[in-house]
Amino acid sequence: MNRHLGLVVVAALLAACSANEARPEARRDPPFVFPHSPHVEGDVDCLECHASITKATALENRVRHVQLPRNGETCSGCHDAVPRLQIPPRTRDAGLKFSHADHLARLKGEKNACVRCHTSLPEQKALDYGAPSMNACTSCHNHAKEFAAAKCLGCHEDLKRYPKPVESFKHQGEFLKLHGGLARGGAESCASCHEQTFCADCHSPTTMPGKPSFIFPEEVQRDFIHRGDYQSRHVIDVAANPASCRKCHGSNFCATCHEQQNLVQPPGSTVLPRNNHPIGWGTDKTSGNFHGDAARKNIVTCAGCHDQGAASLCVTCHQVGGFAGVSPHPKSWKKTTADISKNSMCAACHR
Amino acid sequence: MVTPSRCVASALLLAASFVARADVIEASSTTLISAGQQLRGTEAGQLPELVKVATVYELIRVSAREVRNPLFQDLEISFSGWGSGDLQDVRWDAGTTGKLTGDVTTLYVRGLLARGQVQLRAGREFVAAGAGRMLQLDGGDLLIRLPAGFSVSAFGGVPVSQRFSSRNTASSWNPAGGDLAWGGRLGWTLAMPGVAGRGLDLGVSTVSVTNKSDPVRKDLGVDFRLQPIDMLTLVGNATYSLYAERVAEYNITALITARKGLTLNLDVRHYSPDLFLAANSILSVFTDTNRTEVGGGVRYQFTKTVNAGLDYHALIEPGEAAGTTTTGGEAMGRVEWESHGAVAGGEVGYLRTGDTGYTSLRGYGRKTFGMLFVAGDLMEVMFKQEVNGQKSSLTGSLSAGYQLAKAWSVVVAGRAGVTPYFEQQADAMVKLVYNAVVRVREVK
Repeated sequence: MNRHLGLVVVAALLAACSANEARPEARRDPPFVFPHSPHVEGDVDCLECHASITKATALENRVRHVQLPRNGETCSGCHDAVPRLQIPPRTRDAGLKFSHADHLARLKGEKNACVRCHTSLPEQKALDYGAPSMNACTSCHNHAKEFAAAKCLGCHEDLKRYPKPVESFKHQGEFLKLHGGLARGGAESCASCHEQTFCADCHSPTTMPGKPSFIFPEEVQRDFIHRGDYQSRHVIDVAANPASCRKCHGSNFCATCHEQQNLVQPPGSTVLPRNNHPIGWGTDKTSGNFHGDAARKNIVTCAGCHDQGAASLCVTCHQVGGFAGVSPHPKSWKKTTADISKNSMCAACHR
Repeated sequence: MVTPSRCVASALLLAASFVARADVIEASSTTLISAGQQLRGTEAGQLPELVKVATVYELIRVSAREVRNPLFQDLEISFSGWGSGDLQDVRWDAGTTGKLTGDVTTLYVRGLLARGQVQLRAGREFVAAGAGRMLQLDGGDLLIRLPAGFSVSAFGGVPVSQRFSSRNTASSWNPAGGDLAWGGRLGWTLAMPGVAGRGLDLGVSTVSVTNKSDPVRKDLGVDFRLQPIDMLTLVGNATYSLYAERVAEYNITALITARKGLTLNLDVRHYSPDLFLAANSILSVFTDTNRTEVGGGVRYQFTKTVNAGLDYHALIEPGEAAGTTTTGGEAMGRVEWESHGAVAGGEVGYLRTGDTGYTSLRGYGRKTFGMLFVAGDLMEVMFKQEVNGQKSSLTGSLSAGYQLAKAWSVVVAGRAGVTPYFEQQADAMVKLVYNAVVRVREVK
């Protein structure tokens, strides 16, 4: 692995650098300069300044559709002279497929029809445009089918740009606990906004360099499972919900640490492992500490140290004809009709 | 000889050439240096040894979307990976014995065909659909949306192992390690008029993982989501082990939005832990006990700045004698205040399982001062039974960050604690982060 690590890192950096060489998105646009509300309240038609919007079939950054009236008639009711304003360019990409021309054609004749969607307009010095919310769309368009099929790209060019879920797509309540169940049937809906790199922050203990709370200690609001001193809690958590651990961690993950703690003897080691099992663990069924009872209740804890396939310690006694003598299988165990000699797990005991 | 790292390097170089053709590029780089101490076990009867660990990490994430190409719509290439170097002892979770290591977390290409009716993804990815349980594999998946709300998906590949080492179940960190995984899901969606999301989703799925032809997982899954009215969503799923011929798990949750700001959830979760072990583990044949969790939660937004949540689940577990059960419990309560760039919260946790358990208290906060932020976190855990001879554990962290120019930021964090395994524990971290979105779409 290490031999080509340099090449891997260089390739990754190349990818990152090519991003840097691309033209970056403009920094925050300058503040708005036009006071919209007094003009809307003064019953000035939006099209007096935004006439060309009626022909706009797409939302284009850097194209403003603003032209202040050249003659003074429109403004003279309030202003002695046409105010001189320098309209700064706007560079932020709306990220939507939207035709003002189509929508305004349906509202022809309605004065200031724009405010049906543009309920909040930017005022002087405002930095935020106050774009119409999605409610403005769904008040006329029902998108239930598109939502269910995760067909968001009909309107949204790129959902992944949003910093937080918006409107009805907000992940409220106990969403963290629900999201696994929802993803089973709707992973493609998740993929509309989230790349799998996002999921991997928490769901990839096999390939991540550390637990999320280690990489993001400053993210105090996030629900990280292994926060704080998890070393001391993990034995209790695995007793409470063994399956939860096993959804992410294979036995060898546990064994990697347990070997370093000398709880498990690593292959080839001559140092005897520390025995943490209580008295009576091995053979005393009346001790209350018998390993068979503990294994029945929580076999996953055993797997944290003793899951080495056919080389597992259990096989020493539990193989057919071995020291333990009795079948370790539970009562529900069904005899298979398959040839067990071809299954290496069966063959480990049934030699 | 073609090694895994050469394959990865080639894939990354290919990805880099794709990135140059993208309209939207997200790039993030995190350089992280951490130093602290870890325990190493010694012979029985001797105190464990303390070793110093100092590691430099470089984490890179690059996503390129809307890559111009003649075939796919919304072609996307996504990569996240990291490399690290241990300056002193090798940390416990390095995944290798060498001081230099690294891994690829995701590296896939995803594209849409036929007006979005067909989605293809290939590379290192996760399978979340159906009974997949976020199976991480090197392979591909295909989703086809059919008429009348039907959809069919299929996947195939090789389960991922840590640091490109053996994928064999016994040595992989992947819970479903092996050399072949495949499966799919047949889904049906009925959209109901009304609010977005209202409708019914049904799915039947299967997952099979084998290791040298021995079964690791062989499951059949069903799942549903029903939102009959705006305020009620029911989500459920079940997995049946075809190998053991038993139910591995089922979960049903009702989520109720009683009124604005108030959500309730009621849950039943049932599972068989042994069926979460690999079927080719010798331990999976020793037991067949079941566990059930029943409970619910409530979360309420009291004001614009204050929200609180509380949930409780009874844990019905196997008892001391075979065939008997015992009941434990798990609860969590949280209150959080957030206003004008400041956050403060408190949590109380409670867990009782068998004759053990713990109660935890946590307080946290974060405050932004323009380009600067500070965050703190303090957690105490009180154990019902002593852990390594100690009754409690106290840990805390303090972080500060500063937003530098041009998408760069720096974070400094320190952690310290008194735990059952450390009389005094402290480690420190410095993190330099670059996080940028680049749009290169031309004015049309």
